[in-house]
Amino acid sequence: MTSTQLPNYLRANRKRLGLSQDDVAFLLGTQSGAKVCRYERLVREPSLQTAFAFEAIFQKPARELFGGLYQRIEQEVAARAKALTFKTDLRNPDRQTAHKRQALIDIAALNSKKLLKQS
Amino acid sequence: MNRINENHIRVLAIAPSTRGFGFAVLEGQETLVDWGVKSVKGDKNTRSLAKVGELITHYRPGVLVLQDDSTKHYRHSARIRELGRQVIALASSRNVKVALLSREQVWRVFFANGRGTKHTLAEILAKRFPEELGFRLPPRRRPWMSEDYRMDIFVALALAVAFRLHKGS
Repeated sequence: MTSTQLPNYLRANRKRLGLSQDDVAFLLGTQSGAKVCRYERLVREPSLQTAFAFEAIFQKPARELFGGLYQRIEQEVAARAKALTFKTDLRNPDRQTAHKRQALIDIAALNSKKLLKQS
Repeated sequence: MNRINENHIRVLAIAPSTRGFGFAVLEGQETLVDWGVKSVKGDKNTRSLAKVGELITHYRPGVLVLQDDSTKHYRHSARIRELGRQVIALASSRNVKVALLSREQVWRVFFANGRGTKHTLAEILAKRFPEELGFRLPPRRRPWMSEDYRMDIFVALALAVAFRLHKGS
């Protein structure tokens, strides 16, 4: 069994502040702590509004609170950026295309750099 | 492309006790991901084991740390020793590595001469993780008092931290 980043760190942050699931539910504007429990247990992914609410409650950026989820999405975007770079290669490389291609290379490389730094 | 970051390898430490068990999940050396006490009633070992299983499923730890029960300083009951063995078997069946640390190994990490009280150990850990555990530090136990249930959290965390530091050295 291997360990990567957890999809989210909501429980750790909630416990750090000494809040109950019902307290967080109230702050989120939902009815019961059951929903918070589902977010914590990774059964349910939060909406953008809820993610920002968590950011406001725990005073930490959403990409940190949802570390594993962010990492997975970042990897997927990087893979797509790589694919799009190859597609862009086939077209006429005028200035705008070269600029776009460089942006895509940077997006794809950002993730690789992070992985290298981590390992 | 799913490389494993060494800093994100989680350590799950379990400290079985008369009530159930205390646990701590440490990611890297400084990130305390979860901690707490699971109290069970009835068939304590079966229920504790089920709860340990839930923790393993949720946190997918790289290593599970327990106190070594083969040393002379291990003074828990036969039931708790049996629970320890069952937890080891469960971890092995889930392909989680198991590390056993003796009380001396843990205490030597926190005390230069290897001697100190549980409360002092808890104070050291509360200072190390002030936001998470600062307000959970139990009052100093008096001779007529039984041990505070929260002490199990600190024992489990001490195991996790000691394992990390042993590994780092």
